[in-house]
Amino acid sequence: MRYVVGYTANARGGDAVNLAVALARRQGASLDLVMVMPQDSPYNGVYPPVAGFESILAEQVTQWLDEGLALIPEDVPARAHIRRGESEAEALIAAAGELGAALLVIGASSTGLFKRFSIGSVASALLHASTLPVVLAPSGYSRTEPITRLTCAVGSRAGAEDVLRTGIAMARRRSLPLRVVSLVAQGADDADATVAQATAHLREIAEASQDVDVSALDKLDIDVVVGHGRSIEDAVDHLDWADGEILLIGSSRLAHNNSIFLGATANRILRALPVPMIVVPRNYVLQSEELFHTTQVPVVAAAGPTEVTK
Amino acid sequence: MTTSETVRTATVDQGLSEKGLKAGSVGLIGAVVIGISCIAPAYTLTAALGPTVSEVGVHLPAIFLVGFIPMLLVALGYRELNNAMPDAGTSFTWATRAFGPWMGWMGGWGLIAATIIVLSNLAAVAVDFFYLMLAQVFQKPELADLTTVLPLNIATTLVFIAAACWISYRGMETTKTFQYVLVAFQLLVLGWFAIAAFAHVANGTAFDATTIQADWFNPFAVESFSQFAAGVSLSIFIFWGWDVTLTMNEETRNPKKTPGRAATVTVVVIVLIYMTVSLATLAFAGVGTTGLGAGNPENQGSIFAVLAGPVMGPFAILMSLAILSSSAASLQSTFVSPARTLLSMGHYQALPKGFSKISPTHKSPSYATIAAAIAAAAFYVITRVLSENALWDTITALGMMICFYYGITALACVWYFRAQAFHGVRDFLFKFLAPLVGGVILLVMFFKTAYDSMDPGYGSGSNIAGLGLVFILGAGVILLGAVLMLVMYWRHPQFFKGQVLSRASQPYNP
Repeated sequence: MRYVVGYTANARGGDAVNLAVALARRQGASLDLVMVMPQDSPYNGVYPPVAGFESILAEQVTQWLDEGLALIPEDVPARAHIRRGESEAEALIAAAGELGAALLVIGASSTGLFKRFSIGSVASALLHASTLPVVLAPSGYSRTEPITRLTCAVGSRAGAEDVLRTGIAMARRRSLPLRVVSLVAQGADDADATVAQATAHLREIAEASQDVDVSALDKLDIDVVVGHGRSIEDAVDHLDWADGEILLIGSSRLAHNNSIFLGATANRILRALPVPMIVVPRNYVLQSEELFHTTQVPVVAAAGPTEVTK
Repeated sequence: MTTSETVRTATVDQGLSEKGLKAGSVGLIGAVVIGISCIAPAYTLTAALGPTVSEVGVHLPAIFLVGFIPMLLVALGYRELNNAMPDAGTSFTWATRAFGPWMGWMGGWGLIAATIIVLSNLAAVAVDFFYLMLAQVFQKPELADLTTVLPLNIATTLVFIAAACWISYRGMETTKTFQYVLVAFQLLVLGWFAIAAFAHVANGTAFDATTIQADWFNPFAVESFSQFAAGVSLSIFIFWGWDVTLTMNEETRNPKKTPGRAATVTVVVIVLIYMTVSLATLAFAGVGTTGLGAGNPENQGSIFAVLAGPVMGPFAILMSLAILSSSAASLQSTFVSPARTLLSMGHYQALPKGFSKISPTHKSPSYATIAAAIAAAAFYVITRVLSENALWDTITALGMMICFYYGITALACVWYFRAQAFHGVRDFLFKFLAPLVGGVILLVMFFKTAYDSMDPGYGSGSNIAGLGLVFILGAGVILLGAVLMLVMYWRHPQFFKGQVLSRASQPYNP
């Protein structure tokens, strides 16, 4: 399994590499560091014409990539690639497609002063166009130890089955602990939703969706949690987040098939979230099942559902 | 297990030219559009027509035609250099290879200075037409006068420069469709202006109807060599940009034929439009020094700002829009050139290391782009404060600067190819004779204009302590370059000892 990392030679690129290493170590993946060189439009009409910048830039990008590779520990296999494209996001998506990557990892912009996540232009373009799950590293992500738990945020709207299906597939590979949360903002009608309701809802989603194996729900070590708060941000903040946690969320209903569009709720979660997140495209079909195929028998633990109070 | 390796799939296997452009993407029409957009005829005419008339009067058409000759000769040499060293296409690297680090440094400086000057002029013209357009939109003529309020004018110009710098730094580019629309619109509006002007002449409603005479096309009728030299160095500016068509290669669909054909078509279109518009202007307004006359110093900074209204009536707003859009687009794309040349000089240690910094996010020159913006802003503020007619004086200084760096580069071509010069008719013409004659003409024009511009009455008539402002601007910039060069030599001598970029010449290799 390969993960593509959209690398930039700054703190943001470092965040992405750290997170990619953490994911790769847990899931046994190899990394492909990709840097995109801009492709000039001849119609820009640069005058007086200047050649030579290209080779200087190529030299610099190669050097940056070598520095990026040096960030990756010995135990994670990695390669680096230089791509060309008018748009960085398009070039990254194309590279991920060509390399058969399962995930595309990128650092969220580091320009946000107060928010842990503030989406930069490349990340934003990726989120609008990517056909495979995009992993966003928060600013200042420094952990490289394996990911410890995967949390799926499941809503009641269409798209929940995409998240659940991807979450289960990821969890089955090397039995990554899975937690499913339903986030509720207080003041809404279902303010007093319970874990039991959420579990039932989860089963409903699984049953309604053709590809989700309902039996997997029983076999896997799944925690079902309901997050409460005055707002969605509040609910996210009040959940208990493990150190090596990663959140999996779905894309908005506005998204075209097979692409990502962050809905209002997802955007709000993004702003409040202390951990990295994976955004799954709408109607995302796992490109090849064996990418996620389990190599170990999932361990079914006795841990039952727990309720998180604020 | 470690399999860390870099897969270098940068240029070769993805069908790109050395300049990072997609190969085979530009057809003949596209190349012509690029050529015309680099010339930006609406902008060059409004900026250069007045100052040229003030030098050569009614012989404007003749000088415009003559001005193309040295441009053509030098561009032929450029093309040879571009083919021989495609990855080093700046005056800086070419001149360094041919003449060594000192001349190379000055060649690069000349190119940077010319682009910095044109940036400040482009921004100023854009600002003039910005206020003129506001006046036309709101039908309040007093808004157009806001551009004469010095602090407001300087502030607006700095905003325009900063905006263009930011766009260029972010790596945003003009798209194909946008460029086609811009060019078509410019040509259409210029054509409209010419037809409307001739219609006024025919109806007897022209300001100073002047009959077109064959003598206008005779360059030898220009009174003095000083005026001739000044006129030619100005008309170099109006064709500046044309040679971009000749330096295209892999990005065109047919690299063997497209560049040559595009250059021919471009020059035909440009000469036609220049002739029509300059004849229309002279026929409508005459060269008188009062009122709307093209010889009136008041009108010479930006001729269309004055004439578009009387000629085109309510449609004059289209002229404002055409010039504003084309100068704004040029402003943005022109930033790339000095920024990349500064970066390349930083990379080869001819400038402090900081200039070679590339933005990790946008992969564009970071330090160098901002340095170019600051220089353009500073140049504008200084000229604006010192000169009675900043636009006029900057254009004259610009003509001088183009002659300077073009001249050096043309002679670099002759010297670089010296071993091949006499091995065949083609080599003799393109690698020796054309660049030699072109280069010598331009350097003669440069020295003659520089000498004449010491006269306090030169250009707009601005002077400091009896020295013409144009001379102070032109010579001052070159002198500043020489001083900076010595400082660099003193602090970081590696480049000047030839340890970074070595001299070379093309050996004869049949």
